[in-house]
Amino acid sequence: MTNPVILELKDLTMQFGGVKALNQVNLSVKKGEILALIGPNGAGKTTVFNVVTGVYKPTNGEILFNGSSLKGKSRHRITKSGIARTFQNVRLFGDMTALENVLTATDVHNKSGLMGAMFTSPRSRREESASRKKAQEILEFIGIANRSDQLARNLPYGDQRRLEIARAMGTNPQLLLLDEPAAGFNPSEKKALGELIVKIRNSGYTVLLIEHDMSLVMDISDRVAVLDFGEKIADDLPKLVQDNPKVIEAYLGVPADAS
Amino acid sequence: MTFNLRDYGANIWARANKWQRYLMALVFIVAAFSLPLLENTFFNTPNTPFVSVLFYPIGLYTLMALGLNVVVGKSGLLDLGYVAFYAVGAYTAGLLGASLKLNTWEVMPIGIALAMLSGLILGAAVLRLKGDYLAIVTLGFGEIIRITALNSPAIGASMGITDIANPPTTFGFKFDLDNPESYYWTILIIIIITIMAIRILSIRRPGRAWEAIRQDEDVAELMGVNIYKYKLWAFVFGAAVGGAAGVLFASESMFISPNIFKLEVSIFILAFVVFGGMGNIWGVILGAVLLSYIPERIRFLSDARMLIFGLVLIIMMNLRPDGLLPRKKREKIKSDKKDSK
Ligand SMILES: Nc1ncnc2c1ncn2[C@@H]1O[C@H](COP(=O)(O)OP(=O)(O)O)[C@@H](O)[C@H]1O
Ligand SMILES: [Mg+2]
Repeated sequence: MTNPVILELKDLTMQFGGVKALNQVNLSVKKGEILALIGPNGAGKTTVFNVVTGVYKPTNGEILFNGSSLKGKSRHRITKSGIARTFQNVRLFGDMTALENVLTATDVHNKSGLMGAMFTSPRSRREESASRKKAQEILEFIGIANRSDQLARNLPYGDQRRLEIARAMGTNPQLLLLDEPAAGFNPSEKKALGELIVKIRNSGYTVLLIEHDMSLVMDISDRVAVLDFGEKIADDLPKLVQDNPKVIEAYLGVPADAS
Repeated sequence: MTFNLRDYGANIWARANKWQRYLMALVFIVAAFSLPLLENTFFNTPNTPFVSVLFYPIGLYTLMALGLNVVVGKSGLLDLGYVAFYAVGAYTAGLLGASLKLNTWEVMPIGIALAMLSGLILGAAVLRLKGDYLAIVTLGFGEIIRITALNSPAIGASMGITDIANPPTTFGFKFDLDNPESYYWTILIIIIITIMAIRILSIRRPGRAWEAIRQDEDVAELMGVNIYKYKLWAFVFGAAVGGAAGVLFASESMFISPNIFKLEVSIFILAFVVFGGMGNIWGVILGAVLLSYIPERIRFLSDARMLIFGLVLIIMMNLRPDGLLPRKKREKIKSDKKDSK
């Protein structure tokens, strides 16, 4: 692949007290690919997302997004620069409608603030209507447009998961970080979600996907990186990763991960 | 299904067309302006002239409850020092009115601006704190403002400021002891403007940002909300409202002293917000009106005001923890229609 690298982790280390959640991890995500990040529970996958999105400052190492370092950038600026995520445990704004959830995210690129809103400046008016249109389009794209006026917390579980993706897309990201988006799904829901993720990628996004379901991973990802105890033990084409003895050992060594 | 007054009201509003809405708003506003007519009826207050009660405590406390609601109810920032902004507005009126010979309306924008500035300074200093820490530091701020005033001879120290001028006669309306309704109508106008501002902000970017911050500020920030900026705005907006209330209060009472701006006032206003329904404008108004009117109406209650407040809050927190009229709990009517298609 000749695609440029969009996200690069260089010797990334994240230490929590005595625990090295990430230990000198190197990883590059290429533009336009679906890269799956797998590994047993506690391997450090979510920590990768947390460090990339600015939730934690890495103990060591560097993160480059489109070639420039994210060091010292606040969380909302990282999001504005083009990285958006979902959460392993759904964390929607439950008291807002589905549409408002997405709108909150689309606001990141709007320029008008409180004064513009209060005095209905032309720019505020323009941005509000453009945001609504865009948020509605995203909900349609994800397939939950019929939910747009319902409170997020009243949505069925599957739609909540999809709304998380829609909200992340609201920030107009280049790179989407999806943290176990199919958790709790049955096989047919998983398949539909896989198709959705491919559709998202095909419309121009890059996807870094944490997922436990191997058949889903094998189906849709272009490349698979494997973490074990905070270290990257493999990074290859799906087929090759599947047969990698280190990977098999990591998974067999932690049989509890079957969940 | 239990009857829900909030949903009932919201339903009527949602089903109405534009003209019906204008009509309803008009009826409400006319009714509010006509309240002084209730003097000498069942609603009359025994200790204080009824129309004065409409201005203070009812009008002023309602206004301040609306301002504090943006901070506490909408954005989830527990501010226990709200009285400080009220004090800044009042002292601005007391000091500038005399020294610069400015009338109430000229002082008003200055009082509001200075209150906003103190909101900005306090916010910048404390908004990185969360929850209980924020509450304690804002409480301290309110007390510091009061104690500073108490120890500053230049602004009257414990004697306060006397002989503050009443507002000038405006559009033929006289502002003096014989015309208490002028004050009430003025505060009513400010309340209506505040309600309109809050409603507009609520359905646009600032309202969404506040709502997101209240529900999960970490996620809000990760979704691109500049949480620090919008928390500051909540503080500054609330401060502006408190400042306006302070200016008007000083010019009506003609006298202010540090004693008036005690922690109690912050607590009262917070109680109105919590009692009425955090985050819901109409709940907050209902809470402020009921809780400031009832002790005036029922004589023996006014002596035991604090005790009653405490009891009411404890009972409410157990029976109806979200307040009389809780914040939005339902979806818009529109979605029902869409689903049935
Ligand atoms: N905030 C934190 N404080 C302390 N330890 C943490 C924190 N976040 C993650 N960890 C630890 O880091 C390791 C990796 O966690 P995580 O990234 O959530 O794993 P995964 O997502 O791969 O299941 C675990 O041992 C976890 O306990
Ligand atoms: Mg995880």
